[in-house]
Amino acid sequence: MSATVSVALSPSPFHALTLPLSPSRRLALAGAWEGGRSGERHGSRAVLRILTFIVLACGAALRAAPVPPVPPSVSTLSRTGSVVTLRFTPFPAAQQFRLLSSTNIGSPFTADPAGTLSGYDFTATNPSPVRFYQVEVTPMSSNALLGSIALNRLAYGPTPDEIERVLTGAAPIGAQAFINEQLAPETIAETGVNSHTNIAFLGAKMAGPSDVVTSTNANIADLGAWHVLRAVTARRQFLEVLLQWAENHFVTQHSKSSTYVNGVGAVVQEQIATQFEFLENDRWRAVLLNPTGTFLDLLRVSAESPAMIIYLDTVTSRGAGGRIANENYARELLELFTFGVDNGYDQTDITTLSRCWTGWYVEKVAVADAFNVFATALPGLKSTNVGVWAFNFRTSYHNTNSKSIFVGKTVPARFGAPWAGRNYQLNIPVRTGTNGIQDGYDVLNHLANQPFTMEYISVKLCRLLVHDDFAHGYDFTDPGLSAEGRLVKQCMLAWEDGTPKGQMRAVLSTIVNSDLFRSHGSAGHKVKTPMEFTVSTIRALRTSTNGTANPGTFSADTDGFAISGGLGSFNRSLAPLTRMGNMVLFDRDSPDGYPEDSPGWISAGTLAERLRFVQSVLIATGQSGKSDAGNNNVTSPLGLLQAKLPLQVPPGSVSNATNVVDYFLGTLYAGEGRANLDLYRTAALNFLNTDDAGASSPFSALTVSGTAGSTYDNRLRGMVAMLLTMQRFQEQ
Amino acid sequence: MNTPNIITRRSFLDRSVKLGALGALAALTDIPFVVKRALAEGNIGGNGKKLLFIWLRGGNDVLSSIIPVQDPAYNASNRPTTVIPKDGLTDYSVGNIPCDFPVNSNAAAATFSYNSAIRLGNGFAALHPSLKFLAPVYNAGDLAVIHRVGYPRQSRSHFDSQNYWENGAPNNNFEKEGIFYRTMLEAIQQNTAKSTGLTGVTLQTALPLILRGSQAAMTNLTDPLRYDLLGIPNTSTNANAKAFGAVTNAAPFAFPDKLNRQLLSLQYANMTSTLQIFAAIDFTENGNTFLDDTALDGESAPYHLFPTTSAKNGGYAMHGNDTNKYVVPSNSAALFSNLKAAALILNRTDAIVAGTEFGGFDTHSAQGGATGAHANLQRQVAWALYSLRKFFRIYGKGGAQEMAGAQIGWNDLVIVTLSEFGRTTIENNSTGTDHAEGGGMLVAGGAVKGYGKPGATTGVFGCHTSDSVPWVNGPAGAAPANATGSMFGISNRYLKRAYDYRSVLGRIIRQHLGATQTQLNRIIPGYANESQEHLLSGGTVASPIESGSTTTAIMGEPDLLV
Repeated sequence: MSATVSVALSPSPFHALTLPLSPSRRLALAGAWEGGRSGERHGSRAVLRILTFIVLACGAALRAAPVPPVPPSVSTLSRTGSVVTLRFTPFPAAQQFRLLSSTNIGSPFTADPAGTLSGYDFTATNPSPVRFYQVEVTPMSSNALLGSIALNRLAYGPTPDEIERVLTGAAPIGAQAFINEQLAPETIAETGVNSHTNIAFLGAKMAGPSDVVTSTNANIADLGAWHVLRAVTARRQFLEVLLQWAENHFVTQHSKSSTYVNGVGAVVQEQIATQFEFLENDRWRAVLLNPTGTFLDLLRVSAESPAMIIYLDTVTSRGAGGRIANENYARELLELFTFGVDNGYDQTDITTLSRCWTGWYVEKVAVADAFNVFATALPGLKSTNVGVWAFNFRTSYHNTNSKSIFVGKTVPARFGAPWAGRNYQLNIPVRTGTNGIQDGYDVLNHLANQPFTMEYISVKLCRLLVHDDFAHGYDFTDPGLSAEGRLVKQCMLAWEDGTPKGQMRAVLSTIVNSDLFRSHGSAGHKVKTPMEFTVSTIRALRTSTNGTANPGTFSADTDGFAISGGLGSFNRSLAPLTRMGNMVLFDRDSPDGYPEDSPGWISAGTLAERLRFVQSVLIATGQSGKSDAGNNNVTSPLGLLQAKLPLQVPPGSVSNATNVVDYFLGTLYAGEGRANLDLYRTAALNFLNTDDAGASSPFSALTVSGTAGSTYDNRLRGMVAMLLTMQRFQEQ
Repeated sequence: MNTPNIITRRSFLDRSVKLGALGALAALTDIPFVVKRALAEGNIGGNGKKLLFIWLRGGNDVLSSIIPVQDPAYNASNRPTTVIPKDGLTDYSVGNIPCDFPVNSNAAAATFSYNSAIRLGNGFAALHPSLKFLAPVYNAGDLAVIHRVGYPRQSRSHFDSQNYWENGAPNNNFEKEGIFYRTMLEAIQQNTAKSTGLTGVTLQTALPLILRGSQAAMTNLTDPLRYDLLGIPNTSTNANAKAFGAVTNAAPFAFPDKLNRQLLSLQYANMTSTLQIFAAIDFTENGNTFLDDTALDGESAPYHLFPTTSAKNGGYAMHGNDTNKYVVPSNSAALFSNLKAAALILNRTDAIVAGTEFGGFDTHSAQGGATGAHANLQRQVAWALYSLRKFFRIYGKGGAQEMAGAQIGWNDLVIVTLSEFGRTTIENNSTGTDHAEGGGMLVAGGAVKGYGKPGATTGVFGCHTSDSVPWVNGPAGAAPANATGSMFGISNRYLKRAYDYRSVLGRIIRQHLGATQTQLNRIIPGYANESQEHLLSGGTVASPIESGSTTTAIMGEPDLLV
């Protein structure tokens, strides 16, 4: 829906050249002006003057965007005989461009009937000697734009059903309602995970905290597949996004845990390590489902996780008897998990802090002792006794001395009120025996709500949700603070002002209700990680073809293993996630986490892998090339169309190339704007209407068939794959 | 940056958003080639010289690789499990001689089981026994071994330190573009590169920072054997062409600007333009028929140069599948597959810089001494340099079995290893070492000024008491808390640097690749600040480059190229 409010920048016709043009535009105009004089007519030769730019602002629903996009401007003009060619610059989320013209700059401009618009090029055969041209853009509605942002950031990309439910269906709930529901996942009935039987099946294999792990429990491939499937199917999408964020923030490495619990057999030790990873996920899920769940809660889950205690060498760190504690966890706790690199600590702090963690251990205990950190070790050989590996406190390892951390340090002035100047020294008294465990909790309680942590974690969440250009280190007192800095500050204030402090929902709510998130400040600015790319590919084509949402009825599906890797021949080293840059779930070797930003993922080789994945997914089952991405990523574009096109008003036809192309463009590129997809539309129509050798072969003349290998099916699949291999589908 | 978006060829000319570039680029493309060359600055890519870099991720323990065996502080008290003992029959104080082993030692302990320090022949330094295959490279004068390499205010964080080694701007976390990217960009902008689409190439999981930049795309191959598209249906080559054509044709479609659109466009264009180039090279295992020209250690036949399988790993297959006859550990297949691909790419395409990486050097625990984790890594390093030298001497330009289309010979190539820091002088409680300061670099190539080359009596730099910034010996026995000497030069714990890594890379970029000093000042900004950084000619680095009152004497560029 668009309102026409015109803001015209129109100088007098005689001063066209004095428009405030950038040097680049002046360059183009100079060419167009050869032979032209302001204000004069030149007989049969049309003189073109470009000039005004009209932007149509949308209706009342728009909040004030911080920086409106640059209006479209005409960039080149040329004229050959009586044919005028005009090119203008793109405009984000544009629904429609129109060219208006007038013979007199003072007269009303009307839609130019004598021209054709293709992409950003307008061609006119212009009989009259002088014409003025205007470019008019109708942007997408703010609700549609926000909806597409939310479906890409608070979810692993849209599904056709979600687009209808939120934006285009008979009674759409609207973007804001979607955001509100996703912020409160406990209010959503999680029926999505019923749409694939593997989720319940694999979930049943997961070992709980007091379960003795046996060879029938989940292995790491099971966990990866389960995690991917939940990302594909869950209705609580934002919860799944945040769980992956937590997993990638508090990095642990499955294979290192597996090595630690050795001696019980290679299969079971790997499954015990899987249990450690699953329990992190499970406990974080509980925190995020709690409306007042805090960052401290998430941090505690990580610190108490046997996987973390093993991964960063706390488990071998001994501080008693003059021994030097291992600094690995202390360093990364500050550098990567709370404060951020060089943000309020130095080497001395790391060294002192490392002593607090001595004694945090992982031990095999009796089942009854699964939650007793002071339990003694289960007697007998670890290879044969029956027990549970759990977080345990080993008093003999603990450094019992008092410790003072951040001695004499105060919060720097750049943080501004209410934190600047605060002393944040932490004093820990002498603690002996089992009391020693409290050292670690004192540290967690202290670190979790320091302004450094607030800043760093807010920055990380902003990078997840808005765009990549956030970094810690802002001067929050600077009156010229950027919009990004201001958003981080607002997050920090939301963190500080809660009771308890650091409620995740308060910070997330601040971000998703900010101007930066809701506008072109965030739309399309990020690139999908391999997990986001693979999962969003399946989701983009996924609907229940018979409306029941029962497993096996979907037009696009995966078994999870086909994305993250199984055991056996399609193992994790061959899986798409690995091929696209080694994004091996739950098993990263370095604690900084997989990159969130694009340069870590986008290179020629990984792009080729992404394109191969898409093509392999779209190839019909049984056809050559299907196995490249595992045989179990299956799609039926025809099934999707047959479920959706007949319900359109008026009903679409699966033989009508325009209907088909428009449907996919609307679901795959919901936030781009119809007018910006003109060139993709032309390319897709051309794809549908030509055979493999490039000769004309009208799509409407093909026999509709879902049979693998049929001309229609291959043609349709090829076109959908083509759209998914375009650059825009890499973006989030 | 105000420099015009040269980017890749014409694909950007249609983008009206980049109108500023249009005018400038139009001006450049109309100049005749001859005139362009005369105007060009530097000769990067035009002089036929190439570079291969190998990242040793994790911080290689240089004290256990290039061993200061004559320093009394290098002993079993400080390094109980990682120390490499001297060979009791060798005089390590003799200088001006080649690297040799075993000398008068137990003849039964033939080279395969030699486990003492290998005399490097400069009178002070030795090699870890697992680096024995560096000896022929060293003795041919083709290896420079550089010790005590670091940078000011050295970080002990892997991520930061690796970033600084790659972006060339120590302690600057905001510089997101790499040294070799800037080097290649100079070649592109000055039109000395033979191909703008293929300049820098890596073979690893992601494009490293050292080749990243905003105005031109460098290529990273994750798996050269999978570097093509499938097409639907896959059985029809026409379908593949149709799919590929659709991707290529969509490349110049204009779109409103977003933060990552330029990166995506550059990398898409890079992919489509290089897909065809690499299709012509045989990266397969069947094509891995590259053999040494000498039989080593009394074997009956030469070894394969690239041990990508067990059968091609040293003498394994020759001795009835004997794993004791591996030249590299059995988990080296990926590394040598990548090195082979890098070598083929440098030899057969216009690429100027190629690189790869491997990890495992972060030996915080169970590092091992003559054998063990560290030793296995050194075996890979040594065989890599040995085999690359042989590959280019035999199969490169002018070689006895010159490949079709070979572009370079061994004299045209320089190989350099990078590692983000060295490790602690004193072992920790977990029989390993922790992050420290000064590390090492290896530079190999036909153009290297190593032992025996005119004007050089040694290939060792930075590891002698007579250096201009001398190696200062430490105390014998267990080091006290306030120990002095080079190995305790920082915080009484860490080896202090005497070279800056930028000086080493700068020397190579200027003298080998053909950059002008002006270009180098842009590529490595520290060079433009010689009075404080002293990268070119050496000097004493002080505040503000160093922190507080710290001063460090460094030796400037080592004279490592002929």
